[in-house]
Amino acid sequence: MLERFIQNIFTDNAGTETQAETRERLKGCFAPGATRRMTQLGMVVGSVLNKLEPAPEDTLVYASTFAESRSLESYLDSFPAASPTLFQTSIHPSGAQQGLIGRQRSLGEVFSHSGVDQMPAQSLLTALLAPAARVLLCGGEERGDWLVNYYSAQDRTFGYALALTREAGFAPLGRLALLPTEEAGLMKQSEWFDLLHQRRALDGPIALGWRLQLNWS
Amino acid sequence: MTDPLITRLKHLIVDTLRLDGVTPADIDENAPLIGSGLALDSIDALELVVKIEKEFSIKIGSSEESRQALASVNSLAAFIRARTAG
Amino acid sequence: MAGPVASGTVFLKACECLTPFGHSAETLAALLRGERALQPRSVLGREGGDLVPLALLPDRALDETAPPSWLAPVRTLLAPVNDAGWGTARRPVFVTSSNFGAGSLYAYRRSGDAAHMEYGALVNCVAWLSKQLGWHENVAIFSHACVSAHLGLLQASRVVQAGLADEALVFSFDFLSPFVSGGFNALKILNADFPAPYQARATGSIGLGDGAGYAVLSRAKGDFTISAQSMYNEMHHFTSNQPDGAGFEACLAPIAAQAAGRRLWIKGHGTGTLDAGRMESGAFAKVFPGAPLVGWKGSLGHTLGSCGMVELAISIAALRDGRTPGTIGSGAPTFTAEVALDSFANDRYDGVICASNAFGGAHAALLLSHA
Repeated sequence: MLERFIQNIFTDNAGTETQAETRERLKGCFAPGATRRMTQLGMVVGSVLNKLEPAPEDTLVYASTFAESRSLESYLDSFPAASPTLFQTSIHPSGAQQGLIGRQRSLGEVFSHSGVDQMPAQSLLTALLAPAARVLLCGGEERGDWLVNYYSAQDRTFGYALALTREAGFAPLGRLALLPTEEAGLMKQSEWFDLLHQRRALDGPIALGWRLQLNWS
Repeated sequence: MTDPLITRLKHLIVDTLRLDGVTPADIDENAPLIGSGLALDSIDALELVVKIEKEFSIKIGSSEESRQALASVNSLAAFIRARTAG
Repeated sequence: MAGPVASGTVFLKACECLTPFGHSAETLAALLRGERALQPRSVLGREGGDLVPLALLPDRALDETAPPSWLAPVRTLLAPVNDAGWGTARRPVFVTSSNFGAGSLYAYRRSGDAAHMEYGALVNCVAWLSKQLGWHENVAIFSHACVSAHLGLLQASRVVQAGLADEALVFSFDFLSPFVSGGFNALKILNADFPAPYQARATGSIGLGDGAGYAVLSRAKGDFTISAQSMYNEMHHFTSNQPDGAGFEACLAPIAAQAAGRRLWIKGHGTGTLDAGRMESGAFAKVFPGAPLVGWKGSLGHTLGSCGMVELAISIAALRDGRTPGTIGSGAPTFTAEVALDSFANDRYDGVICASNAFGGAHAALLLSHA
């Protein structure tokens, strides 16, 4: 059975906040001066992920459809004197790595997904197939600029992080399972975030061949 | 007497790396630039290299040369002087 | 602490690659002859810049066209395996890359021609490619810099081993553009010098190359197997590793446990940078003493997100051929005695460790052998 129990969950719906506003709001979540070079996505994902206290034996599954869209835009605009910082931070999975590197949190397996329609389902499948006792499933998007016009960036910023275990334990917050299905259905990243942020239940198809059962305690 | 190149480099460091809460006067020109009180790392160093190459029309070839040039503000000034002399 | 090693054997029903030399057989032959695909080229393509070592597919320029110039060679590469069923529920596709359509994004931003954007950002690029290749919706995308291919192989293995797929296609690609070469040039590791992996010299440098490859994974059919896979992520720094090299060893230790008693050779990552090359070769020598170590990026350049797949296909070609190419572009002294500069016969060996590393101190390795 492909199921895991939600032991903890944090979400951040930054919406249309600017990068400066996010930095001012979240700088206390990171070491002094650390947010100087962090992206909006890195700060939002890092702040929720850090609350789960990643440990070396955890598996991390990170999912972002458009990843570091602002770094990408700025990096492209830095040519011909290409910025090494922007090049570096534009590379997936920078959004998850920024916070983890800041706290020197090593991990075994790290899977970084991207994509649109299949991505939440695929990232869930990766999390549910991982052998680690605890899997941290996280992701997010940051609001883009000109890339939004080409369906290459999100129009809002958000982040989520869940700690998932095989055993229910004492008082899980919820349960999720993937089951095979012939029914058609799709769930994109923003819909997945809203489901988590609002703690809504779901029992329905989310990708080709997969139905998600999500229940909250 | 303050070396104008040293002063210019200190301003460049603060501006390029967006060091909030740090003034040019806070930077010790003899202290290691990387890995010391300013908490700069190798990526910061490379960002400075790009800026310096553009500002002074010089070329820094490799990561090893970057490391030597950016050992301190003083060594950076010496490097720039050597590359722009004649 | 390393991640759990993914044990349980998966068969490689097919595996092939594309480099500037051609497919795996041609590439192997060129490497055995000691040839180098890297040539000095302007780092910013038509906009000029420093001359740096790049290896592009024949007739391909650094500046991207619309549609991308790499589509036709990719179609040819995949032709032997690309039937109508890929992307259906039981035959998933895993696409892995570091840069996807970054060349098209760059071309748009420099030229203003919006035609490039159909192929530009990651999701658009894969959507377009899937349509071109006739894939259905069951396409997963992994991107983690230079260990991207390993992620696809590991997850595909798990899906197949769990009985959730009859077989899986893992496709990996990375084609150069000023976006990429400009970035590595800004990091000061892509410069005028040609790479010499694992050579102990004063300065380090890399080359970059075009690359693509695929593997078809099956539970029971194939001439070769992957019997162990491992990952470790240092999360120490974006561009440097823990100074004691422990991250490299942490990834290899679980593989060593699985490979105990076997005679192995090693296909390392070896880009040509000094610190990483020293630590990587040192870790191999410690965990697998005496195992000859080779790296081919001195010839092919670093093919970035596709390197794990490209070099897996070449390793398989080497196993078929019975000869392993040496570390082209490098000379003595090397960091360890295990570095093999010259080609050697591999029929006395039981298998190969194929390893890759990436920004952020990411490490991945797998154990490849005859079925």
